Amino acid sequence: MKVVKQEDIKLDSSFAEEIARRSGENVFLCYQCRKCASGCPSRMFMDGTPTELMRYAQLGMVDEAMKKNTIWYCLSCQTCSTRCPQDIDIAHVIDTMRIIVQERKIKADDNKLPLFNRLWMTMIKYMGRAYEAGLVASLNLFTGRPTKDMALGMKMIKKGKLKLLPSFKKPFATMKMFSRAKKLKK
Amino acid sequence: MKLAYYPGCSLHSSSIEYDISTRKVCAALGVELVEVEDWICCGSSPAHQCDDLMSVALPAKNLALVRETGGLKEVCAPCASCYSRLKVAQRRLEDEDLRKDVEMVIDSKYPDDIEVLHALDVITEKVGIDAVKEKVVRSLDGLKVACYYGCLMTRPPKVTGKGRFENPIQMESLMEALGAEGVDWNMKTFCCGAAFALTQSDVVLELTRRILADAESVGADVISVGCPLCHANLDGRQTQINNKFNTNFHTPIFYFTELMGLAMGIEAKDLGIFKHITEVEDFLKERALI
Repeated sequence: MKVVKQEDIKLDSSFAEEIARRSGENVFLCYQCRKCASGCPSRMFMDGTPTELMRYAQLGMVDEAMKKNTIWYCLSCQTCSTRCPQDIDIAHVIDTMRIIVQERKIKADDNKLPLFNRLWMTMIKYMGRAYEAGLVASLNLFTGRPTKDMALGMKMIKKGKLKLLPSFKKPFATMKMFSRAKKLKK
Repeated sequence: MKLAYYPGCSLHSSSIEYDISTRKVCAALGVELVEVEDWICCGSSPAHQCDDLMSVALPAKNLALVRETGGLKEVCAPCASCYSRLKVAQRRLEDEDLRKDVEMVIDSKYPDDIEVLHALDVITEKVGIDAVKEKVVRSLDGLKVACYYGCLMTRPPKVTGKGRFENPIQMESLMEALGAEGVDWNMKTFCCGAAFALTQSDVVLELTRRILADAESVGADVISVGCPLCHANLDGRQTQINNKFNTNFHTPIFYFTELMGLAMGIEAKDLGIFKHITEVEDFLKERALI
């Protein structure tokens, strides 16, 4: 008979546990049917699939899950969560993985999404609302593409579709919300 | 009928014509929309990707503000993303521990009895198709409309409560009431790439191209939408798509409220239609709608 070493088959479920604690989703329910991957509109841009992410989570392969671009190409379109025969909210699991990556400050290749999210959240914190013109301008500036979508932006300004100045809606209200949330998380 | 109105950030800026046309159409149908005072951003795309607690607290705060808006119990959210985030928060807040945390963050009680409605729900379910039909003075006869729902108006069904989430027909019924025809097509709930327009444009250009191509292949004259981001991508990115893929799209993209307004005899300029990036003037002239 072949001999299997115990350490070779030991499963590290701490990653799955963390996902379960944060999202209320059990990744062990996934039986790899690939329905999520088949329906994913962003699949062609990913270097993995949502199905693979579920497997990495089951096997505790944190690095494999985090270092691929897959989690950063999820469009949050909810197709996978809608179609999963095991009723796993896969988009929520991927969101949770994104949050864990950001908390652990793992670098997400050159993806601009984490920066975009931070800029937008900062605007909500200090202004109460999204300030679209400022969001686009600061994102393009920080990512070194200051002329991206310039023609479209000018057209939108001409049509009165972009407000050049932000509106401040009771900023202290949102600032207080953010600080109370921060305290709560500690 | 009186409802609270939560326009969201986009309707105050890049999709102002959706705000204008929704208000006009609702007024004409006898629906009074009372804008929620001092509403804040719902957290939209970024919150759920980087701060789980705030992704629930921001919508919860807005629902608390709805309650303060003359005690109204129904809120109309025309933006599919706002609608989705409000509905997701309601579902998540059934969890008592999370609700306690959120109430601490928003420093007020969370009202659990508010009904969140997308503008399309308000029109088709609260006002009713027949009432719309009665107001039609300029029937959109022969107009072939590809009704595009995108992701969040129907998905996930656990959140939206929609029975037909893969092949919805709510907007098609509305278009028929206006005299138009809702075409049968494949991409009605396919994702347009959403906010990736700003971070990874190549994703949006490819996905949006597929949607435009499918609508064209079934002979649709226009595409009708109910989401500011879908409109921004389908309407605003056609030039970039044509340049990148050597295509020749000039498809007018309308908010369903704009098509309603036109059929109800409201002038195109009063509906904000000329704010579109893809020109619609020739189309409107051809159809004698201006």
